[in-house]
Amino acid sequence: MAATAAGPEVVLSADAAGPQWSCSVWEPLSGAVITTYRGSSCGSRGLCLLNGEYLLGAQLGKNCISVWEIQRKDQLQQKIICPGVVNCLTASPNGLYVTAGIGDSIYLWEVCSGNLLIVLHRHYQDLTCLRFTDDSSHFVSGGKDNLVLVWNLYSVLQVDFVRTPEPRHVWTRHTLPVTDIHCGIGGPLARVATASLDQTVKLWGIPSGELLMSVLFDVGIMAVTLDPCEYYLFCGGNDGSIFQVNLFAGPVQRERNFQVDKESSYVFTGHRNRVTCLSVSMDGSLLLSGSHDETAKLWDIQSKQCLRTVNHKGPVTNAFLTTAPANMLNPDCKPSVSLPKFSRHMSTSEAAEGDEAGAITLSLQRGKQDVSESCLARAEELYQVMCAATDKQLLGDGENTRVRVAELEDEVKTLKKINRDLYDFSVQILTKQT
Amino acid sequence: NTYIRLSHGERGKMSKKRKRQDDFQKVKLKVGKKKPKSDNATNTNFKTQAVHVPEQLKTDASLPTNNRKLNVKDLLTQLHHYNSGVKQSALTGLKDLVSQHPSVITSHLSNILSDVSAVFTDKDPTVRAAAVRLLHFLAPRISGEQMAPFYPLVSAHLSSAMTHIVEGIQEDALKVLDVLLEHYPELLTESSNVLLKNFVELISHQKFSKEMKAGGKTSSWILSINPNRHITSQQWRLNVLTRLKKFLQTVVEGLSHSVENEAIFETDDRTGSEYMSTLEVNWEQYINGQQQIQLYEHSGSQPCIGVGTEDGLSSIENLKAFIKTLVPLLLDCWVEASPSQLVAPIPGNLLEPEAMMLMMQVLSIIQLLWKLMHQQDETQKLESWLRNQYLNDFKNHFIRNFPYSVMETLKPKKKDGTKKEKQGAAVLNGADHILALNLALCQVMVLLTNTSTVHLDTEWLEQIRKFVTESLSDGRKLSSHQLSGLLMVVWRLVLIQRNRGASEELLRAVYTQYQQQGLTLSVRTLLLHFFSGLYLREKSSNLLISRSKLLTRWLAGLPLQLAQLGSRNPLLSAQLINVIHAAAARANKELLQSLQSNVYRLYDPQDGTLVLLPSDMQHCLVQLVYFLPCISPELLSCLSRCCTMGRLSSKLATCLIRILHTRSSFGGWTTSLQDSVVKDVDYFSFLFSTLTGFSGDELAWLQNSNSNPHVRQTQFSPVRLYVTDLDQFVHHWTLTEVVCHCLSSIPSRIQCCDILQSAICKHLVGVNLLPDSTAGSVLTAVSQLIDPAFIPNECLLKFLASCCYSLLYFILTLEKNKMNDCLCRDLLWSSCLTALIHIPRLLRLMLQGVKVNGSSQEELPVIAQVLRLLLKQAQLRQHMVANAALLQQVIQDITNCKTGDGQEQWLTELHYWFSISITARPRGTTSLPVTY
Repeated sequence: MAATAAGPEVVLSADAAGPQWSCSVWEPLSGAVITTYRGSSCGSRGLCLLNGEYLLGAQLGKNCISVWEIQRKDQLQQKIICPGVVNCLTASPNGLYVTAGIGDSIYLWEVCSGNLLIVLHRHYQDLTCLRFTDDSSHFVSGGKDNLVLVWNLYSVLQVDFVRTPEPRHVWTRHTLPVTDIHCGIGGPLARVATASLDQTVKLWGIPSGELLMSVLFDVGIMAVTLDPCEYYLFCGGNDGSIFQVNLFAGPVQRERNFQVDKESSYVFTGHRNRVTCLSVSMDGSLLLSGSHDETAKLWDIQSKQCLRTVNHKGPVTNAFLTTAPANMLNPDCKPSVSLPKFSRHMSTSEAAEGDEAGAITLSLQRGKQDVSESCLARAEELYQVMCAATDKQLLGDGENTRVRVAELEDEVKTLKKINRDLYDFSVQILTKQT
Repeated sequence: NTYIRLSHGERGKMSKKRKRQDDFQKVKLKVGKKKPKSDNATNTNFKTQAVHVPEQLKTDASLPTNNRKLNVKDLLTQLHHYNSGVKQSALTGLKDLVSQHPSVITSHLSNILSDVSAVFTDKDPTVRAAAVRLLHFLAPRISGEQMAPFYPLVSAHLSSAMTHIVEGIQEDALKVLDVLLEHYPELLTESSNVLLKNFVELISHQKFSKEMKAGGKTSSWILSINPNRHITSQQWRLNVLTRLKKFLQTVVEGLSHSVENEAIFETDDRTGSEYMSTLEVNWEQYINGQQQIQLYEHSGSQPCIGVGTEDGLSSIENLKAFIKTLVPLLLDCWVEASPSQLVAPIPGNLLEPEAMMLMMQVLSIIQLLWKLMHQQDETQKLESWLRNQYLNDFKNHFIRNFPYSVMETLKPKKKDGTKKEKQGAAVLNGADHILALNLALCQVMVLLTNTSTVHLDTEWLEQIRKFVTESLSDGRKLSSHQLSGLLMVVWRLVLIQRNRGASEELLRAVYTQYQQQGLTLSVRTLLLHFFSGLYLREKSSNLLISRSKLLTRWLAGLPLQLAQLGSRNPLLSAQLINVIHAAAARANKELLQSLQSNVYRLYDPQDGTLVLLPSDMQHCLVQLVYFLPCISPELLSCLSRCCTMGRLSSKLATCLIRILHTRSSFGGWTTSLQDSVVKDVDYFSFLFSTLTGFSGDELAWLQNSNSNPHVRQTQFSPVRLYVTDLDQFVHHWTLTEVVCHCLSSIPSRIQCCDILQSAICKHLVGVNLLPDSTAGSVLTAVSQLIDPAFIPNECLLKFLASCCYSLLYFILTLEKNKMNDCLCRDLLWSSCLTALIHIPRLLRLMLQGVKVNGSSQEELPVIAQVLRLLLKQAQLRQHMVANAALLQQVIQDITNCKTGDGQEQWLTELHYWFSISITARPRGTTSLPVTY
């Protein structure tokens, strides 16, 4: 829905400052703030758009997820209470599933029913990052136990009571906690970039499960992203610099200039503290970075200049570029699916109880709430119309009524006669038998 | 060769008369007297001599010749001679020739090979032996590629020899096969189907079709016994099976494309597979253009060309058929070798050494067949097929008398010491062999079971388990080969077993091995791999071992072992560190506790493991700090000393500081406060002591060393400077930069400044003699951190001012010709400058400190130069103008105090710069009196 009605690109950024403004949406080129969503502050890698209709934010250090309807700016729509502190959160691009890293386990909810489908206990320590591939077929999780796991969504969802679901790949080559993950384009054939405190960024291939490349830096890397063409790898360092790694080799240069300042052509300098998040625009020309120095910066990738600095009131925890969902700009729109209550426990026990609990509530594509309301209303209306008709008939002119009463009385008489006959007949049969 | 025989004869002449008389004379023979010689006796009193002509007299220059001047053609023709002696000498001659002229091989290879291989089937054993010797000599000199085109021919002759009707030829064919196996394994495997059939035929013959029909289920091949052989049929089978095993071994290795390490315990992919080459990029090298990234070269597994031969053992049907043929034969061999066949009243599990060897070969061939099966696609199916087919046979034959032991054939006859020793060695050797046999049996049997069928096999698995446990825990030192075999069995048993107690018992047995002292590195490595593999798999498979107490105990023992190991064995340490790192990352409680208790031994700055090991392991240990559950102040002081003492490289030290920063509450990494393992106070003191770069003891020691040649002193500042050497200076400066960065990322700047100020006042102000790097670092840190809202106290400012002046003085008096000091001078200068710019009142205090009087004659030029340089700086102009009066006073003093006549150069320059920078300002302040 939202993808088809792709609007201009906007920046969503959130900080961990205070209660008054949690997430702001601004236009990248002018820096004009379009809208803000108020609520409590949002944890790192805990902000995501669900189907272009809802905005989910994991609250910092609390065990709940706040949900905004994207067109209602100011008011918090609902809160999803989770079993533990939510470390990271993401929604699948097709809008069907929501996963959250809670403690050392991954929770997976189905959006349409709100059922908790599965809890995966495979990490040994807290999760730091969860990402879906662009076709929602796989998701990748990284944790403080240095592990990166690649899960095939559908094999995870296949209910098998004998064995617990296994990840498709287990990547163990990082030696310190994993800080960020980026999934490239290509669904199951995508490449995954992972960043870690061990000062490396590693590039993996999902199809082969092999480590393709490892880049060793001087500082721990906190954020990583690829541009849409996957020509460049951007790595946000612990010290505030953003490194650009070209994933291609230039032609061999026969002539070399004497003293070219190489460093400057590969590093974006400007942040004073840890870079927490990075994002590249759809056309690959703009780079957005958020940092602990309470600013988000917008960079021109080609010239490595800072185009705009947006000040926040606290460390920026989330910032990403996205196409503006249609609902965001039009306050009259309503989400097509209402968000059900997310369950806190696995639904398998309920499903075992009986078919009633296992039933699926179908909701049609076009605005379930509207449809259901209108259906009820229409039924009511119909009922009223019918009632009115009969009332009119009943309470109409007197002559008609009298005739009708007579007819009815006749009918009652015949019915009584039939009843009597039936009674006599049955009594006869019964007495004969005994 | 030519023989000339010379003979001599003599014959006496006799008269007719006498002759006639003598003709009938009776000769009387008497006892005791010699019998007279008869007249017609031949006198054998001559000698013969053979004239040998071994060499041709002619010399042929066209072809190289051997010692006998025979060329290749002559020799090869002689090979077709009917006489075996000639053939043999031709073969030896050929060997001679080839050793003298290696070029002959390449030029006449086809002729040589075709003729020599034809002799494989020669009737005469000496000729065959010579042919084998020649082949042995030739093989290393002919490469596989050279051999390949002639190989079908050689192979045909070999097959013909193997299937020859004469036993001797068959036996020698095996020797030929040995040579070929050694040098051309890849060629042999190509023609494996023919050779395998030959092998089978060597020890058996096919039944006739009638018998086959009658036999029904039994296989069509039966073992053959040939009474004509001069060795027993058992020996013969042993010979054949040994070769068959070798051959299968090469086939297995050829198919798997890589030499399989025997002790792979399916650990996780920490090391990665060998097929993929990962691109390792170092950022520094990358930006310097030394490394290029070509990602598509590294984008996936490289294609591997499949083995094209379908007729060999690579197809499932062929393999199955071969197994069906071979395994019954092997079982028959086993049965005949097994002692229950013998009538002698010996217990069923005692073996003759020879029988034992045979059984060993049988088992290892079955193992190889198993490996071949594993290279097929449908391993599961094949496994269950094999199990159904042969499990009962195996149980009947193999397990019945298990475990086997060797019969002692040697009897103690002589009391000679050496003999005894020999015998002991033999017995020991025998024990090793028997262990190997039993082990192979275990391996074969264990392969036949899996998780789904384990409940059916409990009784014989119990036997195997008992054997393994006993042989592991009887206290003997096992070689790495034996141990790897045992561990493979244990590994499989533990993985498939559901019985927790039994697994625990097995693990305990392995652990007792592990606890032995003085194990060789390979054995220790093996055990480590075993345990770590087991531990790393704990979540991936639903094992019962995840909560195994033994595994936990093993893990908890690791940190202590690492600490005790020190620097004695870096390889072993690396393995230990890897396991500890993995377990720490998985937040294993027991390991972390044990690590915590051993942490001081590991990170001791003097003789801890950290400072003793090579740098890549140091890196791992530094990263391990991240996972420590609690970092105490004592540990922090240890770490700080490690950083500053230079035992860690600058890179590692910065890495360590950053990790600690991440773990502190300022790192912004952990969300909740109680998660931070470092207390803020301790963290600050760590940063400060790292910033200082020298411990309190060292500073105190410096104070006492008055007569140090490296001390610089100036009259106008109480701070004397100790000149550190360049390496230390650079190291310290790198650390300073990191510490400053860490301090600057702390949110509340003013408090941070306050803490720094009190620390400096407490620890450094009283010190008179400071290292130059320390003074510079402190200046840099304060100037970077200082906040406009923070007002530094008098004490700090005075200290900084005197530091600053001392440093400036030091820079200017440094020998200028030294290249190395350039860097150091620049760094110090920039630190002084930033301090003067950013810290208010510092310049004033410094100028106030300069109290020029007559006694400081030789320092005057230096002061003048300092002032001139400062006046030159545009950024400082604001401060200079503010302190213009003071500055003027100082300059006045200098001018007054200067003795000697005439305007000196430096003084003129000073006046000039003062005039243009202060007086000639665009917005000149009126309050300034202009004197010059």
